[in-house]
Amino acid sequence: MELRKVKFEVLRFRPGQDVEPVFETYEVDCMEDWVVLDALNAIKDDIDPTLSHRWSCRMGVCGSCGMLVNGRPVLTCAAFVRNYSGTIRVEPLSNFPIVRDLVVELDSFVEKIRSVKPWIIRKLEKDVGEGEYRQSPEQLEEFKQFSMCINCALCYAACPVLANEPEFVGPAAIALAHRYNLDSRDEGNAERFPVLDSHDGVYACSFANECSQVCPKHVDPAMAIQQAKLTDFLEWARILPKRSFT
Amino acid sequence: MSAHAAPRTPTAPARPPSGFPVGFYRYRNYILFAATSLFMALGCIGLLEGLHALGKGEAAWNGFLARMARPHNLVLSVVVLGFTLYFVIRFAWVGRKIGAGRIGPVPRPPLPMPLLGVAPIGGFVTVWLVLLAILGGLLL
Repeated sequence: MELRKVKFEVLRFRPGQDVEPVFETYEVDCMEDWVVLDALNAIKDDIDPTLSHRWSCRMGVCGSCGMLVNGRPVLTCAAFVRNYSGTIRVEPLSNFPIVRDLVVELDSFVEKIRSVKPWIIRKLEKDVGEGEYRQSPEQLEEFKQFSMCINCALCYAACPVLANEPEFVGPAAIALAHRYNLDSRDEGNAERFPVLDSHDGVYACSFANECSQVCPKHVDPAMAIQQAKLTDFLEWARILPKRSFT
Repeated sequence: MSAHAAPRTPTAPARPPSGFPVGFYRYRNYILFAATSLFMALGCIGLLEGLHALGKGEAAWNGFLARMARPHNLVLSVVVLGFTLYFVIRFAWVGRKIGAGRIGPVPRPPLPMPLLGVAPIGGFVTVWLVLLAILGGLLL
């Protein structure tokens, strides 16, 4: 297979060595079917073994290899080198502190996800003998797209609100909260409400819509946030019944 | 933290999204959308002034019309109109996401779904019109 020499500018940050992140340039012989992740692995294997980056499944499922490629948040395992011309610039996800090179600290992201309790909450669990919680295809369809999130954090890297307000709960967490609030088996919306309705909740979103543009799984977090806002408003206006807190 | 806990790894500060706020066209659109509020506020001030003049009588109203006919006010009006149109177009584009087939795990409300989108916006506009009418001396 024909090889193409491609120049990569990769942001490096080595704690204890670099005062601040700096770009380093590598020339890589890329095959036609390579994705950016392949090139990063080639750099690590053959050129500079000190390069650090996260990856796992190589097929757009695990969400580990999210980075900025030419400024846009993408999964590097799904970003084909042949689709870029000239030098390809690779940076760690924006809006997250950099641990090393292309690896970012995701503690705040994980904590935000956890804060919205993204699991099915029942006021009273059914006895196992009573059978499973059944759901019709129509009920599934109401939240299915929001359940496709793979927690890759690309939406957080694209969000301009997070750049100004790091405490904002953020697109993925709100989309997940909305996904469970829409689930016919769930009864935990009142427990998620204080987080969504807080100062850093849904109203912090100013609808840039960028989260939905970059989502690799075509989830629409911007939609989830606006629907959550509308639900909140309608409850406040008593058009919908107010949720009782558990 | 226990005495045996590992020291926290030093990190480099988070970087803002690439191209934010004006280096990337979608962020530029977003900033422009946010900026429309300034120009629409200017338009509202002009509207308030007009309503106030209307409430004070014909002479005041004619004076208001004469001020609005000055070239710089005409230019400002066109700019305000442009930003308002941009706001409406973008809002219509992104606002379509707000309408949902079903909102939350609550009973389906008695209103037809299209009304759910119209009701809050219509209510907001009505409140504004009433407020402006009061300020303009047309009500109360």
